[in-house]
Amino acid sequence: MAGGALRIAAVAIGLAALPAIAHAHLVVTGMGPIYDGIDHFGLSPEDSIPVVALALFAGLRGPATARLLLAALPLAWLAGGMIAFSGAAAPAIGLSVATAVAFVVLGGLLAANAPLPPVVSVAAAAALGLVRGFADLSGTPFSGGHLLTLAGMGASVFVVFALAASLTLPLKRFWMIVAVRVGGSWLAALGLLLAGWVWRYGARAF
Amino acid sequence: MRRLLLALAMFCGLAVAGAAAAHEVRPAYLEIDQTGPGVYQAIWKQPTMGDVAIHLVPHLSNGWLEETPVDQYAADGFLIRRWVIRSAKASPLDGQTVSIEGLADTITDVFVRVRLQDQTGLDTIVRPEAPQARLALSKGAPTTVPAFLLLGIEHILTGPDHLLFVLGLLLIVRDRWSLLKTVSAFTLAHSLTLAAATLGHIQLSTPVLNALIALSILFVAPEAIRAQRGEESLTTRYPWVVAFAFGLLHGMGFANGLSTLGLDKGALLAALVLFNIGVEIGQLAFIAVVLALRRAFRLMAIEWARPMALIPSYAIGALGAMWTIQYAAIVFGAT
Repeated sequence: MAGGALRIAAVAIGLAALPAIAHAHLVVTGMGPIYDGIDHFGLSPEDSIPVVALALFAGLRGPATARLLLAALPLAWLAGGMIAFSGAAAPAIGLSVATAVAFVVLGGLLAANAPLPPVVSVAAAAALGLVRGFADLSGTPFSGGHLLTLAGMGASVFVVFALAASLTLPLKRFWMIVAVRVGGSWLAALGLLLAGWVWRYGARAF
Repeated sequence: MRRLLLALAMFCGLAVAGAAAAHEVRPAYLEIDQTGPGVYQAIWKQPTMGDVAIHLVPHLSNGWLEETPVDQYAADGFLIRRWVIRSAKASPLDGQTVSIEGLADTITDVFVRVRLQDQTGLDTIVRPEAPQARLALSKGAPTTVPAFLLLGIEHILTGPDHLLFVLGLLLIVRDRWSLLKTVSAFTLAHSLTLAAATLGHIQLSTPVLNALIALSILFVAPEAIRAQRGEESLTTRYPWVVAFAFGLLHGMGFANGLSTLGLDKGALLAALVLFNIGVEIGQLAFIAVVLALRRAFRLMAIEWARPMALIPSYAIGALGAMWTIQYAAIVFGAT
């Protein structure tokens, strides 16, 4: 029964993926491409929420993990953007699923305060950065202006990650750590909701 | 290694300079006044560079601004148009939409001011990202406060030259007391000249002012490097003196955002106070983010290698040098 449902899900996702290719909708502030990148990150909860969740998790795991991820995440974001500039395309449904998965996984990690090996933490950050960097700029042609937009996004990721990690790094009191972990469980629940939304509406979900 | 660092900083500067050209954006201005029963006067004032005016055309949904202006002339770096309109309708402006053709392709704002004979009206800012605004006059209270406050916040946060100077100062100061004195001195100085320049008591041509502001950035960068190396200088000992001296220049730069609007003296005073508060809010927010970032690095136990730690100072210096050359070329007529 479960296997049948999985097969149906796989076919449904596969079919939904066929027609729609993801295209980014960049924010135009009128204040220049760097500000466009900063604004795009700030106005895209599918970008900023996972970054904050990962940073809170990294802060709970200590300075060494936070340092590693602070370097890995923005670099992966830039790499994802560069891949998008190369003309590579991805189905919109794939990016929607990836966003929902990111919410579930990162919310789960934060809720569990999971003691991951450094290499796994870096892999999670790299995956998030690659997917979101790619999603932000997919369908965007390479140009000097768009490169600066990507730089603005990368800088925002760096700053927001550092600031969010600094919120949980000094936490010692048990109830404060529990409060942050509860936030993680809410994020995971939100991810499940998004997954249901994608299941229901396919590529039109976002 | 130092050469590599300098090259990297120069590259960053070149990459950023094109997009974030030093802050010389002057807003355009549309004022509609009811001068008598059924008589309205509209004035459109848009910035020009020499004889060149960017493509900005104001439209009003009732068609008033499509008529031929009674006046059109260029003065003091502005193109000015004036219309006189007669309308028998009870409230011909209420619910109309102002839209600015070409604004979306610029980085300037348009300040819209409407004043009716019964002393009601509204002030609003039309921005490139949403180049139109609805005139909801029947709602009553004018929106002057948020408009000027937001203009002040936006003016500093979108001005990389001012922010880089403040960042340079933050790299120089060594303790909280010194930080407080330096930020206060900068605030006091730029508030003084912002007020004096906006009220027309002092004046400096825009290219000269921009060149001097760029020079202040170029000055502060080597001092920041000196401070990071632990060397002593007048600036590292008394950063508040430098902050005050150059703050006077930056205040005149802030004034560009207001004085060019052509507001009458009464409105200008209230606008000046609100604009200055907005500038302070923006400046404090920037300082708070920089200090919070510094705290985050400390909590993460990040120990930057000396060349890495110097990159921001070199980048500030590279941009300052580039802008100084650009504006000096304009001042001396080389471009």
